[in-house]
Amino acid sequence: MISRRFLLAALAGSFLGLAFTPIAAAEADPKAFVAQLAGKAMETMTAKGLADAERNQRFRTQFTTDVDLPEIGRFVLGRHWRAATPEQQQEFIKSFEDIVVLTWATRFKDYGGDLRHVVTNAIADGERGIVVESMVERDHQTPINLQWKLKKGEPDLRVVDLVVEGASMAITYRNEYSAVIQANGGKIDGLLGAMRTKIAEMQAAKGTTKAN
Amino acid sequence: MNASRRTIARLVAPVLALALVAGCATPPPADDKEAVAEWEQVNDPLEPLNRAVFDFNRAADKYAIKPAAEGYRAVMPKFGRERVHNILTNLNSPLTFANDVLQGETDRAVQTFFRAMLNTTFGLAGFIDVATPAGIPPHEEDLGQTLAVWGVGEGPFLMLPIFGPSNPRDTVGLVAEMFADPFDLAMANMGKEYISYTRMGMTGLDKREALLDTLDEIERTSLDYYASLRSLYRQHRASEIKNGRGGGEKVPAPGLSGTPKGDELSQSAQ
Repeated sequence: MISRRFLLAALAGSFLGLAFTPIAAAEADPKAFVAQLAGKAMETMTAKGLADAERNQRFRTQFTTDVDLPEIGRFVLGRHWRAATPEQQQEFIKSFEDIVVLTWATRFKDYGGDLRHVVTNAIADGERGIVVESMVERDHQTPINLQWKLKKGEPDLRVVDLVVEGASMAITYRNEYSAVIQANGGKIDGLLGAMRTKIAEMQAAKGTTKAN
Repeated sequence: MNASRRTIARLVAPVLALALVAGCATPPPADDKEAVAEWEQVNDPLEPLNRAVFDFNRAADKYAIKPAAEGYRAVMPKFGRERVHNILTNLNSPLTFANDVLQGETDRAVQTFFRAMLNTTFGLAGFIDVATPAGIPPHEEDLGQTLAVWGVGEGPFLMLPIFGPSNPRDTVGLVAEMFADPFDLAMANMGKEYISYTRMGMTGLDKREALLDTLDEIERTSLDYYASLRSLYRQHRASEIKNGRGGGEKVPAPGLSGTPKGDELSQSAQ
């Protein structure tokens, strides 16, 4: 408990430090970026005295700022992206954002419990890519290894994939969604329908109203 | 020995029966290059059969395995479950050691050896994991991984009854290890197969209990539970074979591959 508070305090400290140093802000440190992202997300999901709607809205804003969901969405749809109409593309990106946000809100809530997130390493990956390695430590269990794939965008770094114990979330979504399209006779509308159903299910299970 | 043989017979019979009923998936037409690439990357020509086995597994899980794991979690406090897990891991160390050696992983073999020494003696037959705090963390190796290191291909994706996601190579590894486990052989020689049965049952409970939250979470968030598990299993397995080294570089991330957006990752995604 104490160590987690300390970690959050340290994260908040490093965040303020960055905000007030123009040079550091321009040349954002990928390790600090990932530590902050995870720290902020856990804090939002576990902070006391927040209404659920407010909490969900705040998480969604933070998450969609740090994670390039439209980019990941295009990758996930792959060859079906080009076959889709602009309306279908738009609906897909919107539904994909809903599903990913609903999924990770719960996960960060759990991570904020008795888990510790420790950033260990950052490696350059191509011209604009950076891979940040981190670990989720649990009591008496082997830690979970994470790799955050970041891309240097115009203003800031953004996450384009998360690899959990060797399994890429983007590739998993891609394989899964293409299986759904295939099961619906190659029709993207089948996938969009399945996504709507899933979003309704996840929101009902959460028992809260959808933010935004 | 007998225990393992009977288990295998029980496993193989329903698979063969289902194969006759369910048959194979239809590959896409050869002129659709992207669809063919995807078909090869997914590597699941037996999908209808695999999905039938998966349905069977889900039913068995819902009515027997998961309730047992939940019961185990409810009855046994965390402290007890950790002790059980330590004992099972320690019993597995001869096989892990053999596979470390067969893969030429000298450092990891030495780690496994000293872990087993420390935990069997000071750790009271594996009851307490004294090696991890001493700086020797545990790891797992199996014959399927060794075969992969030796260059044996995985073959098509296979959903085994009860055992879950696998492939022909890993299935061979699994079965061979059942026959070759030194502890089980020793128990069979003493006519104490029930100890091996108990170990097998406890291993299953330990594994399912550890996965309770993870699998619930994947099921909650996925549109196609089977396709999610298949993808996660195959990626995770590929990374395990490389012992987590350089697993990341093989996997392209969206927007980083240098190819136009939304193009095939196929070959490297395995």
